[in-house]
Amino acid sequence: MADIGTFEIDGMTLQLEPARDDCFKVVRNDRDMSEHDGFGEVARREMVHRHMSNEMTSIDIAAQCLVDFPDAPWPLRMELARQCYDETRHVRALHRRLVEMGGYKGEFPISAFEWCVTSALDSLAARLATQNRTFEAGAMDVVAGLARSLRAEGDEETAYVLDAILADEVQHVRFANRWIKKLAAENPRVLMKVAHAVRFLAEANLRFVAKGGETSVNGKVFAAPEERVPAVNVDDRKLAEFTDDEVQVILRQAGFRTIA
Amino acid sequence: MSGMSVNDRAYAIATFRFISVKLMEIVARWTPTTPEMEVKILFGRHIWDFAQHADTLGKRTFELRQPEQFSRKPVDAYVALLDEMSELKTTAERLGALYDGMLPAIEKRYRDYIAAADPILDEPSIVIMDRIISDLDRMRRDAASLRREHSIAEWNPAAIAGAERGIAHIVA
Repeated sequence: MADIGTFEIDGMTLQLEPARDDCFKVVRNDRDMSEHDGFGEVARREMVHRHMSNEMTSIDIAAQCLVDFPDAPWPLRMELARQCYDETRHVRALHRRLVEMGGYKGEFPISAFEWCVTSALDSLAARLATQNRTFEAGAMDVVAGLARSLRAEGDEETAYVLDAILADEVQHVRFANRWIKKLAAENPRVLMKVAHAVRFLAEANLRFVAKGGETSVNGKVFAAPEERVPAVNVDDRKLAEFTDDEVQVILRQAGFRTIA
Repeated sequence: MSGMSVNDRAYAIATFRFISVKLMEIVARWTPTTPEMEVKILFGRHIWDFAQHADTLGKRTFELRQPEQFSRKPVDAYVALLDEMSELKTTAERLGALYDGMLPAIEKRYRDYIAAADPILDEPSIVIMDRIISDLDRMRRDAASLRREHSIAEWNPAAIAGAERGIAHIVA
């Protein structure tokens, strides 16, 4: 991680944001994002813009893993290289949809929180546990719910894009699950790295994720974080090779709400 | 390269594999520090291209009595040239050095190998290299059209192309 520096926040050291076009306003807190409730035109554009930005961040994270872990097994490096390519198609498809909706690059604030946390971790297993197995798995839940809601609202085109992206994300989560298990079987210390990553992410969330009752720059009032946990995409989580026990844990966190 | 032994072929292919992995890593290194979204997309696509080149070359080394995914470091001067390119900072420099300087030169090295290879005994290597050459051409066209569409400045690749040409043999 020689090319991008770090920053400190309340005793945590995180990675500074990756480079972005000047047109983007990069923020760090949910409060400074411009998320909207509902599925109005602006809300849908902001949602597509936000996902486009997150996919861009996923390219950066997967690429940095290739740089930082040159001794990783070649088949795992191939998965990461393929992920870079998949994420570029996601950015392109979402940008195409954003323009169709009358939006443009830089229309809303963006965050690179996932990069700041993931790239601060010093092992590949920890990064896979954070980016692929947590952020991308969480996105599987969010995106599946969004696609369903958008269809119900009559926005078939955006739902179509999200559904295609979701299929790719299943593979990104699945290869992380497989490789974490394999690496841990070869070296039990890997599990300690993964546990550290989980704690590290929880600590970062405490610092950056909006608390219940806080208000964003555009007036959205946030519910408490535990109330914002999305319904669980059980089918795709199983395709991504989460165990039944792991799915049960996620379900409990989500109040046993599922995307049936 | 007429009359290349099995070992000569394996070492040459393993050297090309090293270069493909290195190019994948260089482009990956540039990705987070390149601001333009469209260039990031280009790099992400080409990371996968270089990885596939390395992978297919690495499968071929196994057919030539070497381990699967066997890489061999090129001569020091070539490694130094790749390392020097890796340090470039601006988008214009990066695009110019890679797509106008290095890739045409590497393409020529693949063509030289094919010209010298036995068309029957080493046909599997030739097929792999033909596909890589076709990819490299597409990748250069991708970069050229991106530069046109987004008015990214040209950068003179003469120095890096000259340095590449100045290294006669890359197999260490």
